[in-house]
Amino acid sequence: MTNIKPNSSSHKSDPNRRQVLAGSAAVAAIGAFGLPVGAQTTAAPAASGAFASLGVPHIRRDGAEKARGGAKFAAEYSYPGMVYGALVYSTIARGTITSLETAEAEAAPGVVLVMTHENAPRLERPEPFYSSPTGMAGSSTPVMQDAEVLWNGQPVAVVLASTQEEADHAATLINVAYEEAEAVTSFDVAAESAQTSFYAGRDLLIEEGDAETALADAEVSIDLSFNTPAHNHNQIEPHAVTVLWQDGILRMHDCSQGVDLSAITIAKVFGISPAEVHLSAEYVGGGFGGKTVWQYHILAAAASQLADRPVRMSLTREGVFRICGARAPTRQRVALGSDREGRLTSLIHTGTTMKIENNSMTEPFFEQSEHMYRADNMHLEIRAGTMDMLANTFMRAPGAATGTFTLEVALDELAERLAIDPIELRVRNEPEVNPTTGRAHSQRALVDAYREGARRFGWIPRSGQRQGYREGEWQVGTGMAAAYYPYKRFPGGAARITLNGEGGALIETAAADMGMGTTTATAAVASERLGIPYDAIEVRHGDNTLPGALIAAASQQTAAIGASLTAAHEVLLAELASLVPATSPLHGLPAAELGTAEGALYSLADPQQQIPLVDLVALSESGTVSAEAQGGPISEWTQDWSMHSTGAVFTEVRVNSVTGEIRVPRITAIYDCGKILNSKLAESQFRGGIIMALGMTLMEGASFDERNGRVMNPSFGSYYMPTHLDVPHIDVGWTDIPDPQAPTGARGIGEIGMSGPAAAIANAIYDATGKRARDLPIRLDALM
Amino acid sequence: MTYHRPTCLDDAVALLQCAPVEVIAGGTDWYPARGDRPVTSDILDITRVDGLRGIRAAPDGWWIGAATTWTDILRAPLPPDFDALKAAACEVGSIQIQNAGTVAGNLCNASPAADGVPPLLVLEAEVELASATGQRRLPLAAFLTGVRQTALQPGEMMAGLWIRKPAPGRAAFVKLGARRYLVISIAMVAVWLRLDGSLIAEIRIAVGACSPTSVRLTALEAALTGCRVADCATRFHADHFVPLAPITDMRADAPYRADAVQALIARAITEAAL
Ligand SMILES: Cc1cc2nc3c(=O)[nH]c(=O)nc-3n(C[C@H](O)[C@H](O)[C@H](O)COP(=O)(O)OP(=O)(O)OC[C@H]3O[C@@H](n4cnc5c(N)ncnc54)[C@H](O)[C@@H]3O)c2cc1C
Repeated sequence: MTNIKPNSSSHKSDPNRRQVLAGSAAVAAIGAFGLPVGAQTTAAPAASGAFASLGVPHIRRDGAEKARGGAKFAAEYSYPGMVYGALVYSTIARGTITSLETAEAEAAPGVVLVMTHENAPRLERPEPFYSSPTGMAGSSTPVMQDAEVLWNGQPVAVVLASTQEEADHAATLINVAYEEAEAVTSFDVAAESAQTSFYAGRDLLIEEGDAETALADAEVSIDLSFNTPAHNHNQIEPHAVTVLWQDGILRMHDCSQGVDLSAITIAKVFGISPAEVHLSAEYVGGGFGGKTVWQYHILAAAASQLADRPVRMSLTREGVFRICGARAPTRQRVALGSDREGRLTSLIHTGTTMKIENNSMTEPFFEQSEHMYRADNMHLEIRAGTMDMLANTFMRAPGAATGTFTLEVALDELAERLAIDPIELRVRNEPEVNPTTGRAHSQRALVDAYREGARRFGWIPRSGQRQGYREGEWQVGTGMAAAYYPYKRFPGGAARITLNGEGGALIETAAADMGMGTTTATAAVASERLGIPYDAIEVRHGDNTLPGALIAAASQQTAAIGASLTAAHEVLLAELASLVPATSPLHGLPAAELGTAEGALYSLADPQQQIPLVDLVALSESGTVSAEAQGGPISEWTQDWSMHSTGAVFTEVRVNSVTGEIRVPRITAIYDCGKILNSKLAESQFRGGIIMALGMTLMEGASFDERNGRVMNPSFGSYYMPTHLDVPHIDVGWTDIPDPQAPTGARGIGEIGMSGPAAAIANAIYDATGKRARDLPIRLDALM
Repeated sequence: MTYHRPTCLDDAVALLQCAPVEVIAGGTDWYPARGDRPVTSDILDITRVDGLRGIRAAPDGWWIGAATTWTDILRAPLPPDFDALKAAACEVGSIQIQNAGTVAGNLCNASPAADGVPPLLVLEAEVELASATGQRRLPLAAFLTGVRQTALQPGEMMAGLWIRKPAPGRAAFVKLGARRYLVISIAMVAVWLRLDGSLIAEIRIAVGACSPTSVRLTALEAALTGCRVADCATRFHADHFVPLAPITDMRADAPYRADAVQALIARAITEAAL
C-alpha cells in the first residue's frame, strides 16, 4: 500500500454541512484530524477480559427489548385525548384543486378536524437536503399551503378522528375536484431537457483527457447501455409520528435517522426555535435513507395545533409509497477502452436520472467510476431531468447501488473480450493513488479481498471462455464484481461522557439507531476509549436534547460518534486531572500526558502510576465527572486522503433453461472497510445489504405509470422483495485492517453490501447462459 | 351495516335471499379488494355455519365444505390423488393466509391466477351451490365463467365441493413465480395421472394464469394417453395448447408464458409419476 502523506491542509473556517455533504474537494477544515487507532492503544496497558470491547461480537443492546415487544416505536406512544390522522392523496400528477367537499367527512362519527390548504396554518417551506446546513426534508414543496398539486399522491387533506378507523373512513368521504395541468411523467420526455446535475456541491461532470477519442482509438472497446427502475426502501416500520404541543414545546415521537436535523427543519417550518421542538426516536424500524422529514410530520403537527389535541399519524404502506420518496430510475451508458493488456485508456460513465423541481437530489451513479480504477481518459457525467413525481431521495448506497451494477458488468464484458480473468483485469487497473483527486489511499487492500474471496468461493480463473455448465434443465454459472462505497464523516457530531461513582459511564449523543446496532457499537468504542467495562457503559441516543446533530446516513455515523468520543475523552482527561490530589504522583500532569485504562487514570509516561476513576469521581462535588465535546474537523476525507471502502463479491447462479427462473445458491463477499468493530453487527449489515441487492437485481421496482404519474404497486403484495426461500447462504468476510485516518479505524459498513451483488449476479447469469442482462430487475422472461 | 354470522345453512341462505349481502369466508381476497374503501354493505360470514368446515369421506367420494381452509386441506388424510391440491395449499400465500383462506373462497373469487383451480379441475370437482330454493351441482369448469365471473346467481352461495372417487392415481402441482414464496403465479400446472407400468393409462392436465379461467388441455391429455412418461415431452404439439391465451402483464410477457407452460407440464408429469 502507498503511504504518502498528502499535501498539507490549509486551515480556514469550519466547513458548513452543505459543503461537507457535498464532499467537495474545495472544503477547508481546521487542522488534519484523525487519531490512528494504534496511537491510542500503544501507551495504554493492553485491554483484556472485561475491558476488551472492540472487535468483540457483543449482541445488540436493543435486541432483547425488541424480542420482548418492549421497544416503543413512534406510533406506540399515547397521550390523553389523542386523535388519529388519515391522509387523502391527490390522484393527478399536476394541476389545481378546484373544490374540496369536506362537509360529509366533518360530520362523520368521531371526526375532530378536517384540514386542507384552506384552513391549514401558514407554514414556511421545509428546507431540503443541501439547501442549508441543517436541511433534512425530502423537498421544499410547500406543505398544504395552496391549491397546487405537484405529484400524484400529494396529501390534499388530513382527517383527525377519535379512532384510526373513523379517520380512515372519513377520509374516503372527501371529494376533491381538480383542474389538470400538463404534467411531465415520462422519462423520455424529461430526459430531453435534462441538464448536467449540480449535486452535493459540485457539477456531476468529470472530464480528464479526451475519453471519446481514446475510446475510438482503443485497441479493445465496449459501449453499453443500462436501465434501472425506481426503488422503494420498504422499511419494516412504516413512517409514523406521535405529536403534541405542550407547554410551548412541540413534542414529537418520530422514526428519524437524524433527530436534531429533523427537529431544526420542522422548527423552521413552524417559525419556532429548535429549542421549542423536542423530537426523539429511540427505536426506528429501518431507515435506509428514507426516515427523514416528509410531509406527514408537518401535517401531523399542524393538525395537532389546529385541533389542540395530541395526534398520532401512522402511514399505511401505500402512504409510504405515495409521500416518502426513494431511489430514482436511471439510464446509464458505460463505455470502456483499453489496450490489449487491459489497461484502461478510456472510461466513460454517463447517463440520465430524474429529480423534481423542488429538490437537489441526483442519484450519483458515477461515484465508483471516479474512485475505483485508473484510466488515462475519463468522462463521467450525470444529467438530471425534472419530472412531476414524488421527490426522490437517498436510498441505501445512493449512486453506488446501480452504478456498480453498470460499471462492473462492463468490466466483465471487457475482460471477456480481452480474454483476461475478470479479477486480473481489475487488479491491472488498481489505482496507486486516487484516480481523480490524486490523493493517497488512507488504507486499501482490495487486491487482498479479491484473492481471499476467490479462495473462499473457489473461483475458477477464466480467459474469455465461459465456465458455466449444465445440470439437467439448469445452467450453472459464476460471476464476480467489485463493491464500492466512500468513507464520509459529517460535522456536527458531539457526545457527553459522564462517569458515575460506581465505575460506570453514561454516554449521551443525539445519534440514531435504526436497528443497525449504533448503541452497541458506541458502547464498545466508549469502553475501549475510557477503559471502562462494556457492561458498565450506558448509552442514551435518539433525542434532540442530547449533544450533537448526527445523522445515520452515508455509513458515517459510527465514525462521527468515534470522533466525538475521542474529543469528549480529551476534555474528560482535563476534568480528571483537575481532581487529582496533591499527594498523587499524577498531580500536576497535563491532560495530554494522561490516559484512562482498566478503570483508572494513569500517566502515559509511567503507566504504573494510576488512580482508580471511582476515587477521582468521589472527590468531585457532584459525585459525577462529565465532559462534552464536538468531534474534530473532518479534513481526513474532505481534503487529506482518499478514503473509500471496497469489496469483492462472488456469486453462483442457476438459470433454468426452459423457464428462465433464476436462483442464486451461493454468495461470497469480502470487504475492505477498515477495522470491524463488532463482527456480529458487521455480518448482518453486509448480509442485509446483499439481500437488498438481490432484491434489486431480480425483483424490485416501483411501477410508475407514465400516463398519470402514479405508482401502481404501492404494497408488499405487488412490490416484490426476496423471501427467505430466495436468500442463499451468504459467506461474508473482511480484511479487518484498521484505517489509520478514521476515528475508530472503521470506515463504515452500512451500505457497501448493496453494491456489487447485482453485477456479480448478472455476470454469473452470462457465464451460465451466454446472455447479458443490462436492465434491472432481471426478469425470468428476459433470459428466454 | 350488519355482520351476520349464522350457524346453520338455512339461516345463511335465507339471509342471502332477502337482501344484498356480501358473502365472506376467510376474507383474504375480499378485504384486500376493498382497499381503503369503507365497508358499507351487510356481510354474511359463513365460517360458523354448522357442517361447512371440514372434509368428509363418503362412499363415492369426498365432500369439502365451503368453510374449509387451506390448512385444513394440508392436514387432512387424503389419498395421493389430492397431492396437487395439497401442494397448492402449501403455496397459497403464507401460512397466515392458509390458516384463514378457504378453497371455496379461492374458487368464488375466480381469479385467473387462483392456485386452487387447476388441482380441482384435474380431480373433476363439482361445486354445490345452495339457495333458499334448493341446491344444485355444477362441474367446476362450468362454474368459472370468466375473469372474476362465476355461475353464482343472486341468492346463491357455495356450500361445498364434491370430488368423485377416481381410480387411484397420483397428482402434482407446479407453480412459477418471480420469487420462491408468497407470490402470484405467472403460470401453474396441475397433473393427475394413473400409470400402467411405465405407461400413462389416464391423465388430466390443467393450466392456470394463462387464460381467463384455468383450463384442461384435453387434446394434450388424449395425445399422452398410452405414452411412456419419459416420452411425454416429445409428444407436445402446438395444437394441444390452443385453449391457452396467455397475456403480457407486469409479471411476464405472453410468449414467455406460452413457453414456460410446456416446461411446467413436463415437470408436473415427471413429479406425479415419481
Ligand atoms: C398476501 C396474500 C397472498 C395470497 N396468495 C395467494 C396465492 O399464492 N394463490 C392464490 O390462489 N391466492 C392467493 N391469495 C388470495 C386468497 O388468499 C385465496 O384466494 C383464498 O383462498 C381466498 O379464500 P377466502 O376464504 O379468504 O375468500 P374470501 O376473501 O372470504 O372470499 C373471496 C370471494 O369469494 C366469495 N365467497 C367466499 N366464500 C363464498 C361462498 N361460500 N359462496 C359464495 N361466495 C363466496 C366472496 O364474496 C369473495 O368475493 C392471497 C391473498 C393474500 C392476501
